[in-house]
Amino acid sequence: MHEASIVSGLMRILLDHAARHGVRRIASVTVKVGRLRSVEPRALIGCFEVFAEDTIAEGAELLVESVPIRGRCDDCGAEMEIAGFVFRCDRCQGGRITVTSGQELYIDSFEATDALS
Amino acid sequence: MCKECGCDTHGTAPNLSKRIEVIENLLSENDRQALHNREHFDALGVTALNLMSSPGSGKTSLLEATIEALAGEMKIAVIEGDLETENDALRIRRHGVPAVQITTGMACHLDAAMVHDALHDLSLEGIDLLFIENVGNLVCPAGFALGQHADVVLLSVTEGDDKPSKYPVIFRQASRVLITKADLLAHLDDFDPHRAEDAVHRLSADLPIDVLSAKTGAGMAGWLDWLRALRR
Ligand SMILES: Nc1nc2c(ncn2[C@@H]2O[C@H](COP(=O)(O)OP(=O)(O)OP(=O)(O)O)[C@@H](O)[C@H]2O)c(=O)[nH]1
Ligand SMILES: [Mg+2]
Ligand SMILES: [Zn+2]
Ligand SMILES: [Zn+2]
Ligand SMILES: [Zn+2]
Repeated sequence: MHEASIVSGLMRILLDHAARHGVRRIASVTVKVGRLRSVEPRALIGCFEVFAEDTIAEGAELLVESVPIRGRCDDCGAEMEIAGFVFRCDRCQGGRITVTSGQELYIDSFEATDALS
Repeated sequence: MCKECGCDTHGTAPNLSKRIEVIENLLSENDRQALHNREHFDALGVTALNLMSSPGSGKTSLLEATIEALAGEMKIAVIEGDLETENDALRIRRHGVPAVQITTGMACHLDAAMVHDALHDLSLEGIDLLFIENVGNLVCPAGFALGQHADVVLLSVTEGDDKPSKYPVIFRQASRVLITKADLLAHLDDFDPHRAEDAVHRLSADLPIDVLSAKTGAGMAGWLDWLRALRR
């Protein structure tokens, strides 16, 4: 379960930022996950629910936004989306592609609800 | 929404929800530790290789054959990652090479902190090549940098030649792919090395691939020459 390692990093960053902003309750968290990151969104969400228990993020929704793989051809410079993990240029059929996105794995933002009680 | 006071509806508390931007890598701690490991390797002139494959694809056997082939030529050390047991480190030590075992317990991959801990039990003084044998797994090890200079991914001929298509992430990031247990090809009719190579090359057109057998030594030359060229 490498999702556990990832979520423990997420909780550390999240709670640290929440403390700095004086947040008392977290309603949702948005993470961006590139398709080149063998990370299963459902596993991530399941893990987050467990890790968030007894913290200010308990019950918060984890929104996992998947980022498609994009690349640039080293030979002709064409930019393209890489579908089906076939790294081949649409234009010149060259196979040398530099990945420009799809490696993301970061927390984008979170929603704080400091509703007065 | 009530225009006057900004509350949702009369009777409920005003909604003070706000979005806070963060933009921080979830693996930043591991990445930092990996960079630190790399500094250790570079300071000592050690080239570190991360070996990854499914369980039982022949990582330890490849290391044993490689150690024998390069004996007297290059100084090698090994870090072994396994869920349980010291078996693989014992196998390596029998060849007179220092080896540290990391037992990860539940963790399905090595991370940079585990490797750093292992370095305390391993003298890298005078070592040319450090092999880090990752936990047998084609998914999880891919995401965790260890400070290595290159990734080597093994695929044994008993696994099916479509493995690279099923696990594209790990094969895509490899610096070299080794198709292992080639001595068994004669007994198998469903593994076509060319199909496996094509599958790898769809992910990365110029990726070098060796078809070899640690058991017979066949096909090892390209791999050994590559290792010699990595020496610093
Ligand atoms: N025929 C043949 N068998 C091999 C070869 N290399 C390894 N094996 C056998 O494959 C089995 C697994 O080999 P290991 O070297 O232990 O594989 P591993 O990848 O280190 O395994 P884990 O560390 O458990 O993931 C053993 O029974 C080996 O004898 C080879 O080149 N040819
Ligand atoms: Mg092994
Ligand atoms: Zn895992
Ligand atoms: Zn092109
Ligand atoms: Zn250190």
